Amino acid sequence: MADSEIPLVVRDLHKSFKDVSVLNGLSLEAHEGDVITLIGASGSGKSTFLRCMNLLEVPDAGDIIVHGEPVAFKQHNKTREPASWKQVERIRSRLAMVFQGFNLWAHMSLIGNVIEAPIHVLGVPRRQARERGMALLERVGLADRADYFPAQLSGGQQQRGAIARALAVDPEVLLFDEPTSALDPELVGDVLAVMRELADEGRTMVVVTHEMDFARDVSSQVIYLHEGRIEEAGAPADVLKKPNSPRLQQFLAPRF
Amino acid sequence: MFDFQGYGPRLLEGAWLTAELAVLSLIAALVIGLMVASAKSSRSMTLKSVATVYTTLIRGVPDLVMMMLLFYGGQIGMNMATDGLNAWLGTDMFINVNAFAAGVVTLGVIYGAYMSETFRGAFLAVDAGQMEAARAYGMSPWLAFRRVRFPLMMRHALPGINNNWLVLLKSTALVSIIGLSDMVYVADQATKATHQPFLFMLPVGLGYLAITAVSELVVTGLKRRFDVGFSQAT
Repeated sequence: MADSEIPLVVRDLHKSFKDVSVLNGLSLEAHEGDVITLIGASGSGKSTFLRCMNLLEVPDAGDIIVHGEPVAFKQHNKTREPASWKQVERIRSRLAMVFQGFNLWAHMSLIGNVIEAPIHVLGVPRRQARERGMALLERVGLADRADYFPAQLSGGQQQRGAIARALAVDPEVLLFDEPTSALDPELVGDVLAVMRELADEGRTMVVVTHEMDFARDVSSQVIYLHEGRIEEAGAPADVLKKPNSPRLQQFLAPRF
Repeated sequence: MFDFQGYGPRLLEGAWLTAELAVLSLIAALVIGLMVASAKSSRSMTLKSVATVYTTLIRGVPDLVMMMLLFYGGQIGMNMATDGLNAWLGTDMFINVNAFAAGVVTLGVIYGAYMSETFRGAFLAVDAGQMEAARAYGMSPWLAFRRVRFPLMMRHALPGINNNWLVLLKSTALVSIIGLSDMVYVADQATKATHQPFLFMLPVGLGYLAITAVSELVVTGLKRRFDVGFSQAT
């Protein structure tokens, strides 16, 4: 399949912070409707890998190709930089991210958060953005909270709101960075339920998570990272049920 | 009694000059402060060091000295520039440094240094995730500043801005040394002529109080505006 038909292709990413090498040649292809989960111990590089995909971190080497459009890089004082931040901004607006800490804009109401990028980044007319935004809040069960501010919402509500904000830009790929890790256990279920629905309707997603049930039930591909390398990857039935690598076996072993 | 021995109109003009000078200097100080604070948090070492030298220098030298340096130095610099141009073009230009403009520039430059520290602290007080989300949704640096960083930062900056503003307002009295007739200057002249200090200095004090009272109202309004999303927390 030609790259241009694949929503997101990442090839051979390398990244170091100071002298510590965090990513050592990571690749991934997210086809239409794929749900790829990235698992691994903390420090394995999974979050950095995800953050490289929308250039929140700039990889030292490797390619990022969104629907056939490769991100252009240049060398500047020995560090690598995107050649055009305009291009990066355009690409970011097509890949929506959901953060561990929600990061809803605290000074905007929930609906304000949802319509912010459509109006100011994508240029959607306000009325149209609002209509669509309300429909999305309805979807995630927050229509009655549209005018609340983030500080007035529970963590689970904030994260569902953040998912509505992500959907509002009609992204090619949804990036989730440990979306349930900051939530109280009883709030995790609601967020995962929304994510399952998105997977079912064929959204392309890349998810960094510790939720093994979600990885097993929902993903089309599981990637296990260890020290910035792909240690094992494949269908969840293979990777999670019959892990080859001893490290993954240990990682998956029940902790109690 | 209320014609202030004939000084009434001049006192009013002086009050107007004080208010005008203070507000324009405030705007200059805010713009300079924001730019310098941004320079200090930028990745460029050159910008950072220029900004640091600026704030260290300004905050370490008395306002009065600074004002004379900029006013007289500004005139000398302007003369050298016009002399150079005249020699080159064969013309005969002379640009007089306007005392009012010099006052605005000086106060703006001085209080810009204080404002920049206020803004820098306020920038740091904003949760990094807020700007990260702005970037992640494709906002340009300017859009992210306008829509996210600025409104969130102002909540933290307002008390410091208010403080700097009150000090700035009272520093406007210094401009009399570069020949501007602000209300303190007029009242001083009148006192010297009539030997009635209370007749002139009390209204001047009240004049400053009137300006600060109005500014408190404005600040309260701004505080309410930038507290949106924070004060409603349940």
